[in-house]
Amino acid sequence: MTDTTSPTTLGHAEAATPIAPGRTPWKLEAIGFVLGFTLLALLPLIFGDTYARHILIMAFIYAIVASNWDLSLGYGGVFNFGHLALFGIGVYAYSLLTKLAGFDPWTALFASGVIATLAAILVTIPILRLKGIYIILVTFGFAQLVMQVIISQSAITGGTQGLVRIPGLYLFDHNMVRDGKFAYFYIALALLVASTLFLRVFVRSRAGASIVALRDNEEYAISRGVSIVRQRMLTLAASAFFTGIAGAFYAAYQRNASIDVFGMSLATIILSMVLLGGTSTIYGAIIASFVLTIFAEWMADFGAWRPMITAVLIIGVMLAYPSGLVGMIKASWGAVAGRLKRPA
Amino acid sequence: MSALAEILFGGLFQGSLYAMMAVGLALVWTTIGVFNFSHGVFMMLGAYIAWQLVELGLPAMIAFPIAVVVMAGVGWILQASVVRPLIGRPNIVLVVVITTLAAGSLIENGALTIWGPRSKQIPALIAGNTTIGGVGVSLHQIAIIVITPLILAALWMFLNRTRLGLALRAVAQNEDASHLVGLNVTALYGLAFAIAASLAGLAGIFMGGYRFMSPVMGSDPLLKALIVVVFGGISSISGPIFAAYLIGFFEAACSYYFGLYWTPALLFGVLILTLMVRPEGIFASRSRGLA
Repeated sequence: MTDTTSPTTLGHAEAATPIAPGRTPWKLEAIGFVLGFTLLALLPLIFGDTYARHILIMAFIYAIVASNWDLSLGYGGVFNFGHLALFGIGVYAYSLLTKLAGFDPWTALFASGVIATLAAILVTIPILRLKGIYIILVTFGFAQLVMQVIISQSAITGGTQGLVRIPGLYLFDHNMVRDGKFAYFYIALALLVASTLFLRVFVRSRAGASIVALRDNEEYAISRGVSIVRQRMLTLAASAFFTGIAGAFYAAYQRNASIDVFGMSLATIILSMVLLGGTSTIYGAIIASFVLTIFAEWMADFGAWRPMITAVLIIGVMLAYPSGLVGMIKASWGAVAGRLKRPA
Repeated sequence: MSALAEILFGGLFQGSLYAMMAVGLALVWTTIGVFNFSHGVFMMLGAYIAWQLVELGLPAMIAFPIAVVVMAGVGWILQASVVRPLIGRPNIVLVVVITTLAAGSLIENGALTIWGPRSKQIPALIAGNTTIGGVGVSLHQIAIIVITPLILAALWMFLNRTRLGLALRAVAQNEDASHLVGLNVTALYGLAFAIAASLAGLAGIFMGGYRFMSPVMGSDPLLKALIVVVFGGISSISGPIFAAYLIGFFEAACSYYFGLYWTPALLFGVLILTLMVRPEGIFASRSRGLA
């Protein structure tokens, strides 16, 4: 997962963050970051129709959820299978806050992120002592618990019927409905930028390094003074905030909420985005979200065959490239770079 | 009296189905060390194959065993295609979750395409109803309550008294040593999956006999089986069996006293509490090397 090849000899010993071998210099990454997101911001100029913007908005939402999952799953090595429940909590928190409690949509959006974070801290408590497969089971159980509570409290949450006519977001006096989804597109993009920036800064920080240390060698990390309780809570909480906000945005954009967000099919799709992209990269999950969302649209004509083709493709990529699309790109880049370097 | 009989009967019946599902999951986990998320789909497929065979005119008592054998084949194929190539990879647990989920989605959508979304039902093992202790029950359910312990006992005998079963347990305990003494580990992995799939298929046939079948019928039992194995401890076969009946009784009592809606929430609450106190499960003596 982490590169262990050729340590880059950087001169500054005073650097506060530990320099991981093979790490991309932050200036280079910043340039790539700005270029990449500028390109995304310009996409509506190329794809003129409203439907294309809708697809991109969905891809942005999925990218936020998947990349945040990569933080806990990839970097943290915590098999958190309740990640989609955090998304669902965001959806329902926003819906209930705006619809029943009468909150301002933007306040509710932020509050949903906070509520998801609190839920993540709550779910961390039972998994502090657990490892591997048991974490999968408890977090999976947590997701089901949340869903069951929402179904059983149908008087408030609408149960299996879900909620409709949820207030959307607003921007001054701008008409959000009749602008061809331009406003929602840029809000979604802004959220993705904020989330990605947060994730990348986090994983490059000392806290991020300590989380990776815990994943790679738990005993050694603990003996060096890294607190597994604190860091695991931090990982889950950090991965929950933007996930909750993405859920709230999803509810605001779709104007309805249903328990489908807790279902296995959505979890499978998002998980395959994380794994297809390649874990512990953040960018991999984002790229895979675009690839899968656009691919799913592209195959819309296949109807019932679509989920089957997707399933076969996921299996195929996982068998051929266990480190995902980014691993694939890295492998081919490594081959090219190796060939270029050798004569020198 | 009637309340007790109802809880007892409901618990025995649900427990039997959960035990059939959970044993397969536990078997795959102990031998290969992966979690098979297409286990629920196995259940659905077994029921549909049985339905198809009955529909073709075969008598139920011939169609059901054929479906179970076909399911063994399906389990073997699934293992060979999406699990075996990944063995030895560092993040196998995670990758197998996604490949089995994807394979499950493939089979589920395939079943939807072939058989359609319309609900179906397969003939009961024994038709008719009776009354025991003031509770009306179908003979089909009684048959399941009687047959399941026999099958589980047979499985236990197989794992503890036959060479093949012992080989399977040897692989579960120490894979490298099994290689050294000349066991065909790859084939045993396939066997574990085949047994798990045929048990799930049989559970599906049982379920299709009293409830309408649909392509998504396996997702809820899979969930319950997951709870059962967590509860009973994943590292043994007998732990999940006890846990299955315990959870069956718990569910029956809960839905009797608190209502059907609160039962799943209570169940998951109990599950999370159990894991906080005893992560290795209540019936497990020690846990397998986990990572």
